[in-house]
This record gives sequence, C-alpha cells and structure tokens, in this order.
Amino acid sequence: MTVPNAQFFRSRLQHSILASPATRAGIAVALALLCAGLLVMLAGADPIEAGRAIYFGAFGSVDRIVFGLNRATPYILCGTGVALCFRARIINIGGEGQIALGGLCAAWAAFVFPAAGPLAALGGGLLGGMAWAILAALIHVGRSVNEVVVTLLMNFIAVLIVEEALHGPLGETGAGFLQSPLLPDAYALPKLLAKTDLHAGILIAIAVALAGQILLRRTSWGFALRVFGESRRAAAYAGFSAAGLTIGIMALAGAVAGLAGAIEVLGIHRRVIDGFSHGFGFNAIAVALLATLEPWAVIPAGLFFGFLEAGTTAMQRQIGVPSSLVVVTQGLTMLFVLAAMARAGRKTAG
Amino acid sequence: MAQIILEFLAASIRIATPMIFAAMGAILAEQAGVFAVGLEGMMLAGAFGAAVATAATGSVAAGLVASLAGGAVIGAVVAIVALRLRADQMVTGLAANMLAAGLTSFLLRTIVGHGRAPTIRLPLLEAWAVPGLSALPVIGPLLFRQPPLTDLAFVAFVPLAWFIGRTHAGLRLRAVGENPVAAYAVGANPTRIRAWATIAGAALAGLGGAVLVLQQVGTFTDAMTGGRGFLALAAVIVGRWRPGATVAACLVFGAAEALQLRVQAFGLPVSSYVVQMLPYLIALVVLAGLARSARVPAALGVAYEGNRPT
Repeated sequence: MTVPNAQFFRSRLQHSILASPATRAGIAVALALLCAGLLVMLAGADPIEAGRAIYFGAFGSVDRIVFGLNRATPYILCGTGVALCFRARIINIGGEGQIALGGLCAAWAAFVFPAAGPLAALGGGLLGGMAWAILAALIHVGRSVNEVVVTLLMNFIAVLIVEEALHGPLGETGAGFLQSPLLPDAYALPKLLAKTDLHAGILIAIAVALAGQILLRRTSWGFALRVFGESRRAAAYAGFSAAGLTIGIMALAGAVAGLAGAIEVLGIHRRVIDGFSHGFGFNAIAVALLATLEPWAVIPAGLFFGFLEAGTTAMQRQIGVPSSLVVVTQGLTMLFVLAAMARAGRKTAG
Repeated sequence: MAQIILEFLAASIRIATPMIFAAMGAILAEQAGVFAVGLEGMMLAGAFGAAVATAATGSVAAGLVASLAGGAVIGAVVAIVALRLRADQMVTGLAANMLAAGLTSFLLRTIVGHGRAPTIRLPLLEAWAVPGLSALPVIGPLLFRQPPLTDLAFVAFVPLAWFIGRTHAGLRLRAVGENPVAAYAVGANPTRIRAWATIAGAALAGLGGAVLVLQQVGTFTDAMTGGRGFLALAAVIVGRWRPGATVAACLVFGAAEALQLRVQAFGLPVSSYVVQMLPYLIALVVLAGLARSARVPAALGVAYEGNRPT
C-alpha cells in the first residue's frame, strides 16, 4: 500500500474548492482583516469591540446602509472598467482622472443645458471620461509608451483641469473653497428610497457590472479581449487588432469611470467639489483585484469596500480607532490577493 | 531683478531635493528591472520615520536612519510580493502606496499620538555656507548656501552614477534589468539582485521623504508627499534612466513648483493650476517623443520566472 505523499495532497488541494478564485479572495480578505485586528490591538483597543462598531456602523441603520451603498457605487462602476482592462492585460490606472473629468463634464452639461435632465449630465460625464481614456490609449498605442505611466500622469493633469475650471469658469464666486455652484434641481438623480440619500446610482452600477460580465463571457469581442490578455501572440495570430482592442477597452473603462464621476456629482454632492474623485481610482483597482478580475464579482467586492468604509468611519467616532485603518485594510487586501493570484497563475501555467 | 531670479533658482533646487533622492532610488530599482511605482509610498514611509524618530530622540541623524528604514520596509514588501511571488510589479507598487498611506496615518494617531494626531514641530535644517565656495558669484548662493541635505543630494548622486555605470556590481545590476535569463547564465542571481536594488532604492526614496520633513515642512501630515514620488518617477523617464539627466529633470520639475508659488508675485497671466500641470505635461511630451527607445531597461517590469526553464 502506498502512502499518499505531499505531492498527492497538493494536487488534491489544487482541484478542491481551495483553488477557486472566490476562496482565494476570501482567504486574502480574512488575512487582511486579521492584520487589521492586530493593528487595532496595537492601538490599545479591543478588536471584537472594533468589529462590532464596524458592523453596526455599516448596517446599524437605514442611513448607514444607504451610506455604504452610495459609497460602493463608484467602486463598482470604475472597478468593472478596471477588471475588463486588466483582463486584457492593460494596466489602466487612470480611473481617478477619468472620474474627475466625468464629474466635471456632467456639471458642465448641466449648466449649459439647464432644462435637460440627469440623463444629459450622465451622458456628458460618460463622454468626458471616455475622451480622456481614449487620449491615453492613443498615446499608449501610437507612441508605444507604457500605459501605466501615461494614465498616471494624466490623472494629475485631469485633477488640475478640474481645479482650473473650478477656479475659473465653473467656480462659485466667493465660496472660499474650490467648488461649482449647486446644480439645477432638475439634475438630481431619482431617489430609490424616500427620505434617504439613496439614489439610483447603485442600480446603474450593478447593471454595468452585469453587462460587463456578459460582454466578457458571451460576446466575440469579449473573447478577443480574453485571448489578447492571455497571449498577445495568439491574439495577433487570430487576427485581432491589438490597437483596436486596446483603444476599445480603454474607452469603455473611461466611459464607466466618467459615469461614476457624474453619479458622484449628481447624486452625492449636487456640485463639483475640489478633490471629489480623490482615491476612487486606486480603490477601484483594489476592488477589481478582490473580484479576481471577474466583472460580476466586482459587485460584492465593491459593496465590501463601501460598507467597510461606512463602518470604519462610524468606528472612529465610537471607539476612537482611526478610520485610516480602512486604507491599511484595502492595501493589505490588494497585496494578499496579488500574492494569491500570482501563485494560482504559476500553478496553472506550470 | 537678478536677486529675485537667483532666489527663485535657489528655491527650485531646494524643492527638487526630495525628488532627487527618490529619483535616484527609482533609477537603482528600474535599472535592475523593477518598476518603482511604489516610490510615493516609500517616500511617505521615510517621511514618517524621519518625523517620528527625530521628534522622539531630538537627533536628526536618528531621523535620517529611520527614514532609510521606513522606505526599506515598503521596498521589502514590494520585493516579497512582486519578486518572490512574482505578482504584477505595477499593481504591487500601487498596493504598497496604499499600505504606506494607511499605515503612516494609522500609526501616527495610535502608537505616536495615543488616540489623536500628535503635533510634531521640528526645527528646519538651516542653510549653511560652504567656506570659501559660498562667496562665489551666482554659483555661491545657488549651490553652496543651501541646507545640508540639498548638498548631500548633489554629492550623493555622483557615486551612485559611478556605481551603476562604472562598477562590476553596477554592470550586473543593469544586466539583470536588460536580460535576467542571460544574467543568470553568467552567474548572477536575478531575483536577489532585484530585491536588493528595490530595497536600497526604497531606502533612498525614504531619505527623500526625510528631506521633505526635516528641511521643508517640519512635521508629518497624512499623504504629505502629495505626488512627489510619482513626479520623481516621471523625472526618471524624462532623464532616460541616466542619473545626471534625471537630476536635471528633477530641477525642472522643482522650478515648476517654485514658479507655481510665485505666479502672483511674478504677475504671470496664468493660474497656478496651469503651472502645476507643467511637470506632468513635460513628462508626457518627452515620453511620447521618446517612445520605447533603447535607453529603457529592456526587462523593466518583466517578471523573472525563476532559474529553471518553465
């Protein structure tokens, strides 16, 4: 009788549930939360109590749930675009700039056509984000400059364009702070729940994520994207246009990021505020990674980060543990997911 | 007028100093083939270390050591995830930035401040005159009447350039960045060399953070690097991975920031926001004009898949 060796167990493990992407993401989150718990202890607080405070801060009342849902909306939208880009192995980190310009264009559309409804502003935001992403894609493809560097540099330029606009033509005079005037009432996003701040954005976000899933899995263009992501040479051999796919997927990601910016402006602030896009682009990358680059899974991943933020701000008020814990958790989750995915990728490749 | 211009140029050099250190760190890592996207986080961790250690001990030397250590910690995280586990270097760098931003903010309020952000007030390092040389016209006030860490930046980049360009170890470093498989064939250990280059580069970037704290701001605030790490990254690209040209690019970016603070004083017809765009626009234009030239380390960002054939 042969004794099963380590190799046997390892191969069993690979084919078991432990190897599924969802489990890997779950383990990554668990490890990140464990580290967060240790940090809470380091801060001299009780991690169980902190966990309770986070839980009730996230789900304790209708208002808290609404806060979490609204928070998750831009993450789901922008995260879907990031997931699709990463699937095609295009590291588009321009979410922040695309969100910023999307919000700006939405407000601009609202001021230029004061009688039109929120759809006009959403369209403006979508086009603004898309145009910015296409510009990045053209520089990337046309001059073969690394897309990470291009989108990164363009983030800073986009945020400065928004500040320049708020400083000049779109700014509210005498506000003492860089912001636009309030948008016309006709531009408010419809409310989902009366007497709360819950706006229709979350429905748009979920629809976009599901559409992204269908695009990736059920269309020939999605197939081309996946081939392009797996192997540039196979895609070229199959006759897929690298430039077309790159520009197309960047445009799509820019459009949904711009939409996220428009929704943030129309649904939350009702105006453009300096720095409203801050951190959204990078958080969306964390969300897409946690979703293991699967568009439908961006929905739970985005909700997780949205509610985590809602809970952590409440925890800071209650027991005084700083809310920057959430940023640490996001960074750690990203690192653990990266590590888990790298291991998985090596096993399937090897 | 000459006095105003001289003062403006001297300020540009001072403002460029943190970026010069960070950019030197980035060159070290990128010549070995590791993208330094985590530069921002490394600088921030260095700034945190410098502020906390200097405030605790009262010694600037302790602050400098802590800034090196702070940067190196983030560098080690990048080395483990991107090199040991071979995750995507770019995304790992971004995650490291997030980790650094969160951890510095969290630790400042808990360990250091016991519940609230502490008020750290450090005396800024003062400009000192290099005996003799500072009396020279123009060059004197520009180069030899600067704060000590600015002098250090100009002294330190020369041996670094010599190390990368002229020594055997530097050659190996570049070989690993050009073609890790070939470097392995001649007896180098690509993963180890890349890891040390990343950690050493991160420590240098941390020193850049210390300059910001000890010489320019005098305290630590959340996300105080404010994109300087990314600017340093752009400077490396504009300088085509050569130390001298990169320092020049840092100085141009420093001048843009100095100009932005003087837009009103100089009566410029544009807003400070437009001036702030300049470094990014310059980097983008240079990058688009340069394309992927032979100067780029060929294996930059390419994972080294191990010593055995896969």
